[in-house]
Amino acid sequence: MAMNRRDVLKGMTLSAGSVLLSPILDKLQAQAGGRAITPKRFVFVVESNGVRPEQIAPVGVQRTPRPQQALNGPAEFVDLALADRRLPMSLEPINEFKNRVTIVQGLSGRVCGGGHSNNFQALGAFGAGRGNGGESMAIEGETIDGALARTIPGIFPHIGLGISKRLENNVIYNISAIAANRALPTMCKPDQAYANLFGSVAGGNAQREFAARNNLLDFMREDVGRARTRLAGEEREQLDSYLESFETLRNRQSRLNEIQHTLRERGPVVNNKYTSAVETDRLDAQFDIGAAAIICGLTNVLTISSAAGIRDFDITFRGLGLNIDKHTIGHGGSFQGHTWADLYNMIRRYHFTLIAELARKLDRVREGNGTMLDNTLIVYLSDGAEGHHSRCWEWPMVLLGNVGGRLRTGRYVDYPGYGRQGHRTTANMYVTLLQLAGSNRDTFGMRDQGLRDLDQTGPLTELLA
Amino acid sequence: MIRSRFFLMLVVAACSAVGFALLVDSALTQEKAAERKFTSAVESKAEYERTVAPFLKKHCIMCHGPKVAEGELAFHELDIDMKASTSSGRWAMVIEKLATREMPPEGRAKPSDDELKAVTSWIQAEMKRAGKNFSRRHAIANGNKISHDKLFDIKQAAPFDNPIRIRVLSPEIYTGFSTDIAKGLSLGQPFTPEGRTTFKDMGAPKIDEPVAVQLMNNALVIVERQTAHKIEGGKLVALPGAVKDMLSFVDESVPLTPVLMDKAISGQFQKILNRAPTVDEKARFVKLMQKNVKDAGRATGMRYALVAVYLMPEAIFRYEIGAGKGDDRGRIRLAPREIAYALAYALTDKRPDAKLLSDAIEGKLDTKEGVAAAARRLLDEPKLEKPRILRFFREYFGYDKAKEIFQEDKANPEHDPRALVEDTDKLIEYILAQDKNVLYELLSTNKSFVAYKTAADTKKKRAEAIKKFEEQKKKDPAKFANKLPQKIGRSVYTAYNLTDFPDQQPVELPAEERAGILTQPSWLAANAKTDENHAIFRGKWVRERLLGGVVPDVPITVDAQLPNTPDKSLRERMNVTRQEYCWKCHQFMNPVGLPFEIYDHFGRYRDKEPVVDPDATAKKVDKKGKSLGIVLREIPVDSTGGISGTRDPAVDGDVKNAVAMLRKLAKSEHVEQVFIRHAFRYWMGRNENLGDALSLQTAQKAYGESNGSMKALIVSLLSSDSFLYRTPTVENKK
Repeated sequence: MAMNRRDVLKGMTLSAGSVLLSPILDKLQAQAGGRAITPKRFVFVVESNGVRPEQIAPVGVQRTPRPQQALNGPAEFVDLALADRRLPMSLEPINEFKNRVTIVQGLSGRVCGGGHSNNFQALGAFGAGRGNGGESMAIEGETIDGALARTIPGIFPHIGLGISKRLENNVIYNISAIAANRALPTMCKPDQAYANLFGSVAGGNAQREFAARNNLLDFMREDVGRARTRLAGEEREQLDSYLESFETLRNRQSRLNEIQHTLRERGPVVNNKYTSAVETDRLDAQFDIGAAAIICGLTNVLTISSAAGIRDFDITFRGLGLNIDKHTIGHGGSFQGHTWADLYNMIRRYHFTLIAELARKLDRVREGNGTMLDNTLIVYLSDGAEGHHSRCWEWPMVLLGNVGGRLRTGRYVDYPGYGRQGHRTTANMYVTLLQLAGSNRDTFGMRDQGLRDLDQTGPLTELLA
Repeated sequence: MIRSRFFLMLVVAACSAVGFALLVDSALTQEKAAERKFTSAVESKAEYERTVAPFLKKHCIMCHGPKVAEGELAFHELDIDMKASTSSGRWAMVIEKLATREMPPEGRAKPSDDELKAVTSWIQAEMKRAGKNFSRRHAIANGNKISHDKLFDIKQAAPFDNPIRIRVLSPEIYTGFSTDIAKGLSLGQPFTPEGRTTFKDMGAPKIDEPVAVQLMNNALVIVERQTAHKIEGGKLVALPGAVKDMLSFVDESVPLTPVLMDKAISGQFQKILNRAPTVDEKARFVKLMQKNVKDAGRATGMRYALVAVYLMPEAIFRYEIGAGKGDDRGRIRLAPREIAYALAYALTDKRPDAKLLSDAIEGKLDTKEGVAAAARRLLDEPKLEKPRILRFFREYFGYDKAKEIFQEDKANPEHDPRALVEDTDKLIEYILAQDKNVLYELLSTNKSFVAYKTAADTKKKRAEAIKKFEEQKKKDPAKFANKLPQKIGRSVYTAYNLTDFPDQQPVELPAEERAGILTQPSWLAANAKTDENHAIFRGKWVRERLLGGVVPDVPITVDAQLPNTPDKSLRERMNVTRQEYCWKCHQFMNPVGLPFEIYDHFGRYRDKEPVVDPDATAKKVDKKGKSLGIVLREIPVDSTGGISGTRDPAVDGDVKNAVAMLRKLAKSEHVEQVFIRHAFRYWMGRNENLGDALSLQTAQKAYGESNGSMKALIVSLLSSDSFLYRTPTVENKK
């Protein structure tokens, strides 16, 4: 982890001339006050149905799924450079970014309930709640995207985009949460998502709509404020939170107003994929919107859900020419001569084409001395952990981005087996992300009782530069 | 009591629909609600020394002090500065223990109500100062924690305590409202139940920003549709869905006169709030309209102004603030209009009908009898849809979760959870139609519906398919020799151990195989895992919902997994729960859960269960020694268990299986009381407390005297003091 900021500040005051220093000091103070100099951004791409460990190892690296038991892997930490290795078939689309990629294997997430999907638990690293059953929809705490949204809130603290297997699903709640029992929405209709995010500058009537909306919000603030003074205690709190929503919305309007030129210039262009019945079209559109949202500065935390969650995991990717759903594939189903393993790879490869395009878009936008991609981290994982019927003994992930050089990338790493010295969990991964975002937290989610003899706090120091 | 006199005066005003707004307005502005909250630690400490310390010394310190610290609670060490410490959680527990009269324990001197109130109000005020989010509604997450014996004791253990409240609409009410107003439009659902409560509509979820956005967007969609138009040759032309009367509001060729604005505002108020706007409200809306039209043009400006009515707190929240008469016991009655809304929302998802609103205006809801008659009318009105009643049973039994349990198709292709749930719905409706000994029937009947929606049709089509197949086979025996007729639909009857779809529904299943809802395949599948039974879920359900017991959540330090030994029965695998630490809780679940082992996870009755045969599996290999799959063997089912906690020696004791257990429980008075407690929770939207004892006992009496009529039970609950009266909170009283 980087040096303590206050120490840096102190050290610099002593060593450098104050005139020269003042702008730097301003920035450092801003940073010490919780505002980062350049915003860090995080994108989560969550694909349903598990990421098989053997499928994301570089070509030539033998990696089999670990047995479902303690001490299921080697005692050593594996650390290989990607530079002289070929990426596996499904990751080839991000080959051009290979030096910024980290493939992370061997993390466990045993606190989660497992099953076809871990739902909120996947990004939350918490347990399944009452009854401890698999596939629980329990929201025992914040998820990592929710935690980051609170750490580095943008105009929209968190944007959740996704696809559902059902075309009619508009907003669903199944993977992200801002706190216990408070789910964050995943917008499943690209056209609606577009209206919500870029509506302020869309269409000819936009300006007038914008003004009328402002007036409406002002009116509601006054009206709810009036009603709240007539109540006390918890009843008043009910209205307070309603009032606060209008305050937030009004505030956001002002901020959207400030960046309207950016929104106009860099906003996405709506096409017929936005309302397509084909799953892959909608996912394309969501990546399109997501990229634009980040580029326009609407958010610092984006979650893209590819049919994550127990209700949707068995989606069919007809747009890839497949007429077989992911559940059947998970059970070893083949299609037109392709084995289940081929199908897993084909579908993942498609996701990495989208991830690559997102990375390219960010890399084209200059920021500071580099590009936007330099300050962004894309995290790919599955809500179904390591397989179709996850038990969370492993949770493979792929990271793209080095966050201003703070991650040492271009590597394939594999953590020691469950219970061995040096074994780490998804909670440690999430602590790492929080610290990259400027937080000094060193725990996240729930402790794994099965690892009570190991230190479960702190970030994944092995990944840091 | 200034407040009650004040309300007396205003009750006259409340008799008109318009009066409600006036009443809310003035009643509460005059009585500026002052929240009790300490401004400093010093002030808080002084109050603590004055009221709390003597109380603790008198009632608590002997068991929770320097000498003994039972339950690891010692008051001399518990920080009274909640801002500077983390003690608020423990203090919240103290409130709960006092409120439920769990403490001081039996045999100790009982504190007076005033003493209790003083302590509770200090804790709450200090929490406010500390900014700790203690919520009274959530203090008791599990209603079963309230002493059952005290609730059904003639001597009421605590005074009536039912704070005023406002709650957001339930998702269903919102849908009901918006389908009424916006026919044919598909609107996103803004509301989500809070969760973690026994019934969905019990919590008080707060509105946050995504909810507000959805509400606003929905309102816009509605108004845009109502005023849908295009301009052709400078003239406004209505588009499909437009409401003719509303087009003039957005038509630039019609001058925006005060009369037109008045029409627009009043129309929206009547449609959405069921009342006329007050003078003040009118003035504010006129201002909004004028500003909006100026800033955003006629159409957009007017639309956004019309939207505002949909977002007013009165349109979004259910008000139960007790705007009616006060009584000599310090309670206030809901205003007639509040009662009309509460009654409508108790049974339907719609706003009160015209009759109910006129009852309110005519004073027919001013008496208990009047309210009971109105409730009775709603229940007896055949054309009025009352989805809330079936929903109670769905949520109480939880059988509709069968649709959410993901089952592998391969394991049982005949499994059709949707049909199973429909069957149980239908069985409940059938029992409710008889309205006699409802709970007894629900727990013991061996009648059942079997895919009742599709049975006849599927049977007919299957017969046709067989006939067609036979004909084809006759023509070309060689081609069809090894073929089977096309299979139509799923053989849902297998879940009920039948060999075909029955011709008469409901059908009587063997009485030794089925007894009521808990032996319906839907319930059994809902309380199962994807691949096997879940005796613990089933046992927990019986313990909590029939026996009124409390089973704590799995401690987070426990990795609750059964051993992965597929050669053992579930009962044997559950032996791990017999370790002393686990058994503390599992003793309450296993004995009432394992009797359901006479069913599998699809709800099929069985007397044998399959387990893996390790020896045979080891031998089943090919020439190279590669396994050819697992081999199962059948072992007899052990479904024994035992009932405890009914306070009735005739009911408590060993049982041989679930059917025997349920037939015993169906006759238990204790079980009946626990059922009534759940009905109370559902229809009041909150947990019962000791102050509700009279309402509960009256409800039980009404149920008993009517030979177990659900209608009588509901009428009693909806005309009870607990439904009609509120106690002002400390802050509101001041």
